[in-house]
Amino acid sequence: MCPVLGHLDGRFESADAEAEHRIAVLYQEFGGPLLRHVRKSTGNDLQWAEDVVQETLVRAWRNSARLQWEPGLLWAWLLTVARRIVIDGRRRRSVRPHEVEPPEVDMMAVPDGSERALSAIVVADALRSLSDEHREVIEQTYLRDRTISEAAEILGIPPGTVKSRLYYGIRALRELLRDKGVAG
Amino acid sequence: MHDGVAAYVLGVLDEEEHEAFERHLEVCEQCQAELVELSGVPEKLDELKQAPSASEDDPPMSMSR
Repeated sequence: MCPVLGHLDGRFESADAEAEHRIAVLYQEFGGPLLRHVRKSTGNDLQWAEDVVQETLVRAWRNSARLQWEPGLLWAWLLTVARRIVIDGRRRRSVRPHEVEPPEVDMMAVPDGSERALSAIVVADALRSLSDEHREVIEQTYLRDRTISEAAEILGIPPGTVKSRLYYGIRALRELLRDKGVAG
Repeated sequence: MHDGVAAYVLGVLDEEEHEAFERHLEVCEQCQAELVELSGVPEKLDELKQAPSASEDDPPMSMSR
């Protein structure tokens, strides 16, 4: 039972009151940290980020089974849900195809003196150290907001291959980043 | 099925597969553990998405019409 919500049973007169309280508890526990994470991927668009957090927590609240998960897993799941909502939103916002392609790895390592840029350099370096196959699927999916099947079509390989390469590529990237001390 | 966890964490599975993987996640402790392990990777990649790049200097789209 999730420690955050486990103590609520039987304390409320109506289901509505309990639901309301559960949402409030979710906000209290995860709202702040989630907002900080989401803002990074909404380009600091606060209103959008707040909407994403709200939708994420409502989905969590509807998923009572997942609220029983231990906090680390619940947090990882919430991040995933929020990311998906951001990506969907970004896709909707760019119905008219954007002219600007995301930068290639080589163009990314331009320091501007900020800590963030330094960290971006470390990540770009790690990405460059991957095999071509692994780097390619990461670039063609996540970095360009494309799904597995869209990337598969562009790369001319089966979706299952993209998925599997992405798995090994992301695992390898995580190892590299952990060695460099930038991934938890 | 297990190798879908990376695509799931990144949010790049197609809708049907995303939902199928969520059902799988309910019952697969291995994937639950990997979800936790990999959950920090996307935000690292986000730093690349937002890094300043030459492409921002591209000329604006045609103003004709």
